Amino acid sequence: MKITDVICPFCGCLCDDLTVTIENNRVTGVDNGCALAEAKFMHTGRLNNPIIKDGDRFRETGYDDAIGAAADILKDSERPLLFGWSGTQGEAQCSGVHLCELLGGVIDNTSSICHGPSILAIQEVGHPGCTLGQVKNRADLIIYWGCNPVEGHPRHMSRYTNYADGFFLENAFRERKLIVADVRKTESANLADEFIQIKPGGDYAVFSALRAIIRGKGDILPDYVAGVAKSQLERVAKMCLEAKFGAIFFGLGLTMTKNKYKNIRNAIELTDLLCRHTKFTITPMRGHWNVYGSNEVMTWLTGYPYGVDFSRGIAFYNPGETTAIDILAKKECDAMFVVASDPAAHMPKKCAEHMAEIPVIQIDPHINCTTLLSDVQLPVAVTGIETPGTAYRMDGIPLRTKKVIETVYPNDTEIIDKIYKKVLEVQKK
Amino acid sequence: MIFHMITGRTVKQGEGVEKKLSADYKKETSACRMNPLDMMDLGLNEGNHIKIISDYGEVVMTAVEDKTLTAGMIFIAYGPYCNVITSHDTHGTGMPDYKSTPVRIEETDEDLKTVEELFRGMGGTSL
Repeated sequence: MKITDVICPFCGCLCDDLTVTIENNRVTGVDNGCALAEAKFMHTGRLNNPIIKDGDRFRETGYDDAIGAAADILKDSERPLLFGWSGTQGEAQCSGVHLCELLGGVIDNTSSICHGPSILAIQEVGHPGCTLGQVKNRADLIIYWGCNPVEGHPRHMSRYTNYADGFFLENAFRERKLIVADVRKTESANLADEFIQIKPGGDYAVFSALRAIIRGKGDILPDYVAGVAKSQLERVAKMCLEAKFGAIFFGLGLTMTKNKYKNIRNAIELTDLLCRHTKFTITPMRGHWNVYGSNEVMTWLTGYPYGVDFSRGIAFYNPGETTAIDILAKKECDAMFVVASDPAAHMPKKCAEHMAEIPVIQIDPHINCTTLLSDVQLPVAVTGIETPGTAYRMDGIPLRTKKVIETVYPNDTEIIDKIYKKVLEVQKK
Repeated sequence: MIFHMITGRTVKQGEGVEKKLSADYKKETSACRMNPLDMMDLGLNEGNHIKIISDYGEVVMTAVEDKTLTAGMIFIAYGPYCNVITSHDTHGTGMPDYKSTPVRIEETDEDLKTVEELFRGMGGTSL
């Protein structure tokens, strides 16, 4: 059986044109998907039953027992941290916020370690963005800054930018120009008409230099800015000004490096400046498939996109204080509830060491690094493959992911709701 | 010599995110990509084991030649190996220095740890 128009639950592109072949309730083929999509759909390994830490080993248990153990840990916790959320459905994210409010804990999603700084910049100066459909059909200049879509978002170029057809472009492949800015010459940089190689930590200075040139103040610039020749910057500024519709996409090369959110603020202000001459937009390359959704859900339920602290009885937000890395590194939290992410694999060692010292509950279909630091893990259905759910694409478009195979496993929402009820039950006692 | 460590995504690392205890994931995330001239300066050949040391820890990885990197820069795929040496300081933003931690490198004859061994060293549980 072939199922068409399947949405890929891997990266923020949420490609919605996959055809998945199913035989005996197993995915045996994926058409149109990239290598990442294929790995996601074809992977069959999983945790089969809930597990509980017993001494220095794990033992298998039933769902009721594991839910009870999770509720006990959470009710005894004074400052629980609920983290993850980017790899699950919006419905589960809603349940997570309600659970956190009940517990008076802190809820943070993985954007605090990916595009959190982008959100901080957007809160300062706004977001001149657009949908990917607008870029595909209209943009004649694409800029990838601090990102490598060939490796990180393998179909971004073929679906939305340089290798996609455009309704308002006669020959999109030839008409669209590509600029890549990065500290190393990546595979994406090899495809560019213009590659700007910037010294590490120099992005802020290069944005400022481009703004100066566009404002007609290029005379004040030195011959090189962060390793980039002034003549190249003048060429790039000219390309931007001559474009009818320019689209900037940026990645973690801006958020994780020196200057962090100030880099993005400067990039947005460059976009704003270019909009006084032509049409320009800017979009973060969101990584996990529903990390944008976690920002949406938390914002509409709490007023804040990530790092939300309910310990005061109301929602409080202060990145750098209420964000997961800071809370773990300062050993503030006394329990951790992880859903649909793997913080042990992606956080600095000091955070993982604190996870090993406190009780950790994980809701995830797979054995991962966080499993090794967990006290309880409950396996769930894989959202977008075994259970449907709402997800937000990197441009903020909500899409409904499909269920393509049957499963015996409950989904994230069902498990979190049961834990919520159990916590309520034990709290009343 | 101080190197500028940047970490990031690769296709192979992405393919392995649901198989993190596998040999393929270990190989990809424990590869330290370096400029060939830096490797020559340190007397390293492709595949040599190296110890990478920062203010936050030290970890053994494999040296891999990568001509796309400029001298003084190393690239490691996201994963548990680079986390051992990554700064947890977020400078009040919530975001640690994943792309700007300074490190030192020296050759070693120590073996690479498996992912499970890395976490056992931090207090983790065996499967």
